[in-house]
Amino acid sequence: MAEIKLKNLTKRWGDFVGVDDQSLDIADKEFLVLLGPSGCGKTTTMRMIAGLEEPTGGEIWIGDRMVNDDLPKDRDVAMVFQNYGLYPHMTIFENIAYPLRVRGVDKADIPERVQKAAEQVELTQFLDRKPKALSGGQRQRVALARAIVRTPKVFLMDEPLSNLDAKLRVTMRAELKHLSRELQITTVYVTHDQIEAMTLADRVAIMKHGVIQQLGTPDDIYNDPANLFVAGFIGSPAMNLINGSVQDGMFVTTGGTRLVKVNTPDRAAAILGVRADDMQVHEQGQGDIDVTIYAFENTGESTLLTVQWGKQRVIARGDRHLRKDQGDVVGISLNSDHLYLFDPETENRIGM
Amino acid sequence: MRDNTLKYLLVLPAVVVVFATAIWPLIEAARLSFTVGRLNRPGSLDQYIGWENYTWAFFEEPAFWNSVYVTALYTFLTVGLTTLLALGLAMLLAPGGKLRSAAQTLLILPFAMSPALIGVSFRFMFNPEFGLFDAFFGAVFPPLADVSWLANPNLAFAVVVMADVWGWIPFLTLVLIGGLASVPRDTVEAAQVDGASGWRVFRDVTLPQLGPVLAVVIILKSIFSLKTFDQVFMLTNGGPGTATQTLSHYIYFNGMKYGQIGYSASVAWLMVIPMIFLTYAYAKFVFRKG
Repeated sequence: MAEIKLKNLTKRWGDFVGVDDQSLDIADKEFLVLLGPSGCGKTTTMRMIAGLEEPTGGEIWIGDRMVNDDLPKDRDVAMVFQNYGLYPHMTIFENIAYPLRVRGVDKADIPERVQKAAEQVELTQFLDRKPKALSGGQRQRVALARAIVRTPKVFLMDEPLSNLDAKLRVTMRAELKHLSRELQITTVYVTHDQIEAMTLADRVAIMKHGVIQQLGTPDDIYNDPANLFVAGFIGSPAMNLINGSVQDGMFVTTGGTRLVKVNTPDRAAAILGVRADDMQVHEQGQGDIDVTIYAFENTGESTLLTVQWGKQRVIARGDRHLRKDQGDVVGISLNSDHLYLFDPETENRIGM
Repeated sequence: MRDNTLKYLLVLPAVVVVFATAIWPLIEAARLSFTVGRLNRPGSLDQYIGWENYTWAFFEEPAFWNSVYVTALYTFLTVGLTTLLALGLAMLLAPGGKLRSAAQTLLILPFAMSPALIGVSFRFMFNPEFGLFDAFFGAVFPPLADVSWLANPNLAFAVVVMADVWGWIPFLTLVLIGGLASVPRDTVEAAQVDGASGWRVFRDVTLPQLGPVLAVVIILKSIFSLKTFDQVFMLTNGGPGTATQTLSHYIYFNGMKYGQIGYSASVAWLMVIPMIFLTYAYAKFVFRKG
């Protein structure tokens, strides 16, 4: 049980900056997700916490101890690797038992503890097999069991679900969430999958180019994105970003359409962000603006309308019973409670 | 021409070459091993005497058993030392190891030298009057000054082993570096995080996964050690006495120097037996599936 503190953590390889002077406090028992595209420094940050990568600068604290100079084995962390990192020459039992063995746990206690960990991830019938004989999902469970077989101060998970197929990923995600709430251990979880971040995290840190763009609860980052990057990264379909300006309290698109009232001083250039879910689709003439459908997609649970809006295309979500066709004209209205304005220069949110 | 016929025709040259240079000499040697086979006695190459050459080697010739003993000890020592040292070097030179590239390039140098050249240079280095080792050991440890390394049976044997280990380390190191590179990095990192010390990571995770490569290295080196000839020939010529006379050297000595072709053919065939086992084991490891 421990909090993690990163103080001005930096990692450079020659000229390349992996993690750029980042500070982050992770509370005891918190589930923190590091989210970002590949190469954003999230895995590097985690590997520095594990001790597998040496920081160029800054400090790492686990509990009340600075661990910069500690070997991985002395940091009391457990890690789940993207490719699982199972020992191919050992049985599943031996794989799970390994952390106990190397840490000198009483031999008599090992079978019981392995059994308990295996039960928690529903693996008990595979204990005498080798990893090769297991499916991807089962291997993933072995990696999890190996992490939870002892009670470390910190769990580190490096894209643990990314090698699983889509269906299994959803199941494992729920199991992971259940397990993490049960175990109550400080966890750092790295992923590039926003759904995983949204569903699992107490707080999410979104990273880009080695810098944390925003740190907040899933609600915060979804409903209050700090900048264009966060706004575009979170949410599916991605948030619509419309170029324009603010004139007389109205957002005006570059095409000249006076679109919607915004509570912002006038400015020459602005980007309006609006999520597909925050646009209502009406019959022609009944919305704020009439647009032509570029493509109509029925996903089953809802419909997605890609509409031509001047020179730009925008995606709106419609009712699942809505049926339209390419070329039809519909009316769109915007929910003014959920509009975001960004400065195109700084890419930061205006009015935050 | 049908594909079926063509494919045999295309491998035919290779088959002919292998037959002429490897299979035929083996067969001819087997035939000779049952003859009197004296180079200085006309007609003796066709004078059959049954198993007499073999029984002679086994029951009447202590020099044969001496060579068997020398070869066995030599093989055991060179395989063991070379493998251990190469493994240590490979750990240092492997990606993520502590030494790198420049050292790796330099390392290949001894392997590029012919064994005969290694033999000659070691002979000079161990010369009691102007040799490098004499000067070096003499300076560090005066009682070793002016020791005639190659005149003392035990020291001469040690020198032969040393020369061979020196010559073979590079190649085996490179093979083991390749083997280490194929050990998945995350298994090593998982063990580190699980709490294993450096030594336990090596023993529990790296070494078991390196097993097949290590087996190939040991088998290959055993084959080469068993048939060592050129180094011994240039360095000690089997001496002093017969202290460093390996089987290959013994065969050469009897066949070429004493003209006892029939007898040396029989000893050569006795050497084929362990070779067949080793080659079989090697093929099994190298060509195994999955």
